[in-house]
Amino acid sequence: MASISIRNLVKRYGNFTVIPDLNLEIADHEFVVFVGPSGCGKSTLLRIIAGLEPISSGDLYIGDKRVNGVQPAQRDIAMVFQDYALYPHMKVYDNMSFALELRGTPKAEIDARVKRAAALLHIESYLERKPKELSGGQRQRVAMGRAIVRNPKAFLFDEPLSNLDAKLRGQVRAEIKALSQELKTTMVFVTHDQIEAMTMADRIVVLQSGTIQQYDTPETIYERPTNQFVAGFIGSPAMNFFPVEWRQERAILSQAGRMVPLDGETAARLSRAGNAVLGIRPEHFAVASDSADSIAIDVKLVEPLGSDTLIHFDLAGGSAIARVDPALRPKVGDRINLYPQPGKTHLFDASNGQVLW
Amino acid sequence: MSDAANTDRWIRWLNTVQLVLAGLLIMAPTVWMVLSSFKPSFEVTAYPPTLVFSPTLENYVELTRTTPFLSYALNSLIVTLGSTALGLLFGIPAAFAVSWTRISWPAILTLAARMAPGTLFLLPWYVMFRQIGMIGSYTALILSHAVITLPIVIWVLLPSFDGIPRSVFEAAQVDGCSVTRILWRIALPLVASGVAVSAILAFVFSWNYFLFALVLSNGDTKTLIAAAFNFIGEGSTQWGALMAAATLIALPPLVLAALVQRWLVSGLTLGAVKG
Repeated sequence: MASISIRNLVKRYGNFTVIPDLNLEIADHEFVVFVGPSGCGKSTLLRIIAGLEPISSGDLYIGDKRVNGVQPAQRDIAMVFQDYALYPHMKVYDNMSFALELRGTPKAEIDARVKRAAALLHIESYLERKPKELSGGQRQRVAMGRAIVRNPKAFLFDEPLSNLDAKLRGQVRAEIKALSQELKTTMVFVTHDQIEAMTMADRIVVLQSGTIQQYDTPETIYERPTNQFVAGFIGSPAMNFFPVEWRQERAILSQAGRMVPLDGETAARLSRAGNAVLGIRPEHFAVASDSADSIAIDVKLVEPLGSDTLIHFDLAGGSAIARVDPALRPKVGDRINLYPQPGKTHLFDASNGQVLW
Repeated sequence: MSDAANTDRWIRWLNTVQLVLAGLLIMAPTVWMVLSSFKPSFEVTAYPPTLVFSPTLENYVELTRTTPFLSYALNSLIVTLGSTALGLLFGIPAAFAVSWTRISWPAILTLAARMAPGTLFLLPWYVMFRQIGMIGSYTALILSHAVITLPIVIWVLLPSFDGIPRSVFEAAQVDGCSVTRILWRIALPLVASGVAVSAILAFVFSWNYFLFALVLSNGDTKTLIAAAFNFIGEGSTQWGALMAAATLIALPPLVLAALVQRWLVSGLTLGAVKG
């Protein structure tokens, strides 16, 4: 068990800088998820922690030990790869015992540890099989088992669920979460799926172009995103954005020229800024019974999800989505009056995307 | 019959013709060689060639009577096995290193050496081996034949190593393997059929290589293929004995290829390791 500390880390490939200058502290026992779009540097960062990529400059500590240049084997970390990376020629048992065997662990202890991990992951009956005889989900479990038997200081997961089907993904996600609570080990998990990030993490690192956009708890990132990128990336469907301006003591949607009803606190912030980008999550629209203090929209598309219904509409020169009660039974072409729930709107600086407090 | 069915029939027919022609082209000299080795001397060069004849072993008797055939065969075996082993010993780690580092120039260099005419090497080698008193030694022959076997091993194994997902090697690194151990414990078992194929091809090419043995061997270390050259004289050529020698020389590679042909094809097409 150990903390991970990254200080002024820079990673370059030739003249191309992937990570310009990154600082990050991961506490002992913490489950941290790196999330971001493709090419944001999240996997590179994980591979740097693993020792599979050298650092261009800066420092990396695992526990108290500075591990720049230390071989992966000496870092006492375990990693689960996206494609599982099982050894195809070895049986499941041998896949799991390999690292312990290399360390000269006594056979009896290897056996005990492999069987304990196998029991934990419900893979006892596969131990004598080769990886090619297993399904994707079973291979995924073996990959986790291989990591668990090591009893490492930290677990690193590189998009381990992306090759599983949706149902299995949800199941394994819950299992990893339960495992993290049972093992009480530092875990770093990379994903591009914000649902995985939200459901599993103690804290989320949102990355863009190798820069941390926000590092906080899932709740804070959802409720108080620090910039427009984070606000748009976390949440599904994504947050709606509308350019707004303060005119004649009212908030006006810039391109539509229509008034948007805002709560007093948000209106005050907009009045100070003059203009901004208004962010409203689809689930934070409410349906009004009449057109007073609301925005009338025409339903363009309806997506019933069962638990709720998504309605797509055009507003202020762009498309937007609202999540409404399925009992409303909206139909394409219906006119509906919507208003943002008080206290649930976000304002971002129109020039740099930073949140306006 | 539809146009598509007609086209299919034509394609099948053309394929058959093509295969028969290719088979004839490849097999005709071999069949000629084998048949000639069983013909009486005067019939070997008869034109038109006789297809019906009384088979005789006189060429084989002549071959074993006039030459220490078994001793030459043993020389061939020593040189071939030695150079194949040398090729594998250096070729396996070289191919792995090229695949691991993705620095391809060393592999290209060995290929260029293989493509260069053998005569290019002869003079420097002759001078070099003479200087160190190794002309006529097995060592000189084995080292020279490594020029043939090493590129084969490297180039057959390179796609096999490339086909192993990089993450498997990285998992081994995280598990505690050094690069050498990754090669030995992870990569090598996964390319076993590729290693077998490269060994067979190296064996065949080295076994059949003529030029180096002709110059660098002596009476005690002469290989079969170089010895067979003795039957070609300035005034006359002993075609019957030459055909008998050629048949016997061709036998080991043919038997080897026939025994492992299924493996040979799968090994040559080995591109990816399925998990």
